[in-house]
Amino acid sequence: MMDAFAVGFMNQGLTPSIWVVVSLGLGVFLGGNLIYAAIISAVFAGIGFPLVWGILGGSMPRSGGEYVYNSRIIHPIYGIAQSFGDAAIWLMWLYVLAPLAVDPGLTMTFNYLGWTGAANWLTDASWHTFIMASIFNVVGFLFVVFGIKIFARVQKIVMFFGIGGCLLIGIVLTITSRASFMSKWNTAAAANHGPTYHAFVNQVGVAAGQVMPTHTNWGATFGTMVAMSWLFAYAYSIAFIAGEVKRPDKSIIWANTFAIAVPFVFMLWIAIVLYKTVGFQFLNATAWNDNNGNTLASMAHMPHGTNFIDLAVYSLGSSAAWARILAALMGLSYVAFTVWWLALSYLAFPRILFAWGMDRMGPKWFTDINPRFASPVKNHILCLVLGQSLLILYYAALHNQMQNILLTGMQVTSVFIPTAIAALWFPYSKRAKGVWDSSPYKKWTFLGLPVVVWGAAVDLVYLGILFYYFAFNAAAKQFTGPGLILFVGVWVLGVIWYFSWSAYNKAKSGMDISAVTYGELPPE
Amino acid sequence: MIKLFYVTDIHGSNVCYRKFLNALPIYGADVAVLNGDLLGKVLIPMVEKAGGGWECHLMGMYTEMNTEQELADVKKIIENAGYYWVHQTRDEFEATKADPKEIDRLFKHAAYERIQQWLELADERLEGKSCQVYICPGNDDWWEVDDMISCMKIVKPCDNLVVDIDGHEMVSCSRSNPTPWDTPREESEEELAAHLDELCGRVKNYEGAIFNFHVPPHGYSLDLCPKLDKDMKMSAEEKIHAGSLGAKQVIEKYQPLLGLHGHIHESRGAQKAGRTLMINPGSEYSEGILKGVIVMLDKKKVKDYVFTQG
Repeated sequence: MMDAFAVGFMNQGLTPSIWVVVSLGLGVFLGGNLIYAAIISAVFAGIGFPLVWGILGGSMPRSGGEYVYNSRIIHPIYGIAQSFGDAAIWLMWLYVLAPLAVDPGLTMTFNYLGWTGAANWLTDASWHTFIMASIFNVVGFLFVVFGIKIFARVQKIVMFFGIGGCLLIGIVLTITSRASFMSKWNTAAAANHGPTYHAFVNQVGVAAGQVMPTHTNWGATFGTMVAMSWLFAYAYSIAFIAGEVKRPDKSIIWANTFAIAVPFVFMLWIAIVLYKTVGFQFLNATAWNDNNGNTLASMAHMPHGTNFIDLAVYSLGSSAAWARILAALMGLSYVAFTVWWLALSYLAFPRILFAWGMDRMGPKWFTDINPRFASPVKNHILCLVLGQSLLILYYAALHNQMQNILLTGMQVTSVFIPTAIAALWFPYSKRAKGVWDSSPYKKWTFLGLPVVVWGAAVDLVYLGILFYYFAFNAAAKQFTGPGLILFVGVWVLGVIWYFSWSAYNKAKSGMDISAVTYGELPPE
Repeated sequence: MIKLFYVTDIHGSNVCYRKFLNALPIYGADVAVLNGDLLGKVLIPMVEKAGGGWECHLMGMYTEMNTEQELADVKKIIENAGYYWVHQTRDEFEATKADPKEIDRLFKHAAYERIQQWLELADERLEGKSCQVYICPGNDDWWEVDDMISCMKIVKPCDNLVVDIDGHEMVSCSRSNPTPWDTPREESEEELAAHLDELCGRVKNYEGAIFNFHVPPHGYSLDLCPKLDKDMKMSAEEKIHAGSLGAKQVIEKYQPLLGLHGHIHESRGAQKAGRTLMINPGSEYSEGILKGVIVMLDKKKVKDYVFTQG
């Protein structure tokens, strides 16, 4: 249960996700209210996700993620197509996240420590960043490849540092008053030729072409929920180890619930103290500035940027050794969660391949388990090779394409919505009748309907809000150009993959493998 | 080429057994082997209530049945999960609770009745069909089960025997190395190794031979299971090898064409040991899912294999 929770919670990426919520969410959707957005997100995600992923995982406790559920409940082609998208997403996160662990992760931490030379080295040439990102990529691989025992132990240590750093951020922001923050900011500004508290808000307003909002905008509040999904939608990673947890009928659903509840508590706390300490308008200005690359000319000599960790560091108001160490621990929290995301990609992707292999949707070696480490080592190595290749491609050619919010959008369309639909259909699926009949949740009903249907409905409402904003809203719109090609392309590749392997299997064994691996046998 | 369908560890599950019989024509199997464990592990008393109806505890939940239909529905759930049921009055239930021998007797009665029904159903459904069906118990099955299998018309026993499957010699062993549960067919590693060596020594042609051992060989990926602590609780993060060293020895020594194994439900997979392909199809009997494997055998090679579930 603890390890399942940790896998879910760590994939919510507490500190970097709050960063994304504040800088990207608020930076794009100025005027959004983070407190309201957190509460709405937590209610929808807190009901929908544990019921969908917990009930599906507890009913089909097999490692491999949602491919298992979707292929059994809806159809193998549907399962492979969406799973192909998910596999691509887990791989792509590697090249998106490894560079983020370097910059801003390491650069910020080094700057807090006063190691500006080291911080500058990391970013003054792209191959420097590439080398460090590659090291993080390999470290993520090493955390997982030696089996779940080592993974679980390292995870506890990383979680300790990750949560610890975030706690520090919250505590510092909590004990700092508005007047104290303004005074410390203005002192730093005076010493570094930066803008005063009020001047900064005005200058950002000019740069953004709009006055920074002073009160809540409801449309923007819903918009920030897209970024906030980073904190609430990713505990689904538990599904990839569903076959390896004890008492999956209880553990998966509770682990999902707690993996949403804990980030909610942190998000709510941080949002409240950010508004209290730095102020609504100033926070919007910092978010816009950070999301637009901290390029405000007057900020050039300020010691830190304007992300929410920087704001906590400004709140310390000291450059003494104790303050540098505290600040570095806050920065390290960002690094810890980001590096662990890489490890989780190495946990998920090989298990997706394993599940495909078990259904003969891939070469037989997809199912090889190393007897020493009890893990699919060959799949891990494939993941490392593909991930590193993508990292090279990213630095060589793509760089600014297909990043964070795009992948979130792809996860919504390729993973969360298809799986919520499968959950909605689960009690009525002829294909999965046997599974539903033996499900421990069959008798869970509310107002005459199976609870899993209610969970799926709530989940779909939440995902509908995310989908609308990321697909159609002008600020976050992703249904254009490369995004659309990517979304459709991975599904098409998945369908091609399914038919290719079906044809190969039929030619080799003379059997319709789909009927053998996915088919239902008469139970009487 | 022959198509061999192999299933293991259905542990009393009615629905899995029926699916096994139904799968034979659907998968077009020439030969089928149902390996143990055949017996279930749980007996559920269905106790008469004072005001009419019945009550029981099923999967940790208190369950009431007020009509014959409800009773039949719950019995079906019990049977499909591999459990057994017994009707009792409140007085019988209270008396039985304090009498382990009576519990044992009731359990064996229910278990043997289920096996007898299964075997009769197989004879009925397989009559006139070309598929050969072998049943071999596992370490959880009492020795009496062998006698029941050997009395059948169509289903054939194979434990402790070398049988011919279209030119492939198949040698089968139901015994296991020691387990934490002290089951009926356990032997020390030394005894098991000697027994397996003697059994495998009877094979004439190893090139096409099939070793059907309930226990997988030690140290491969087919015998990985969660480590148990002193309270018999499973570890989620630590796996150990629970297979037999004796099985490993004879497989590595004789190098048969194929090794078929079960015992460790969660270690579904296939692995090579030299020229021998070893397979454990795993088991999810309690969910009513029949897991198996179809192996396509040429004279001297495994042409292909496919894991199945339904």
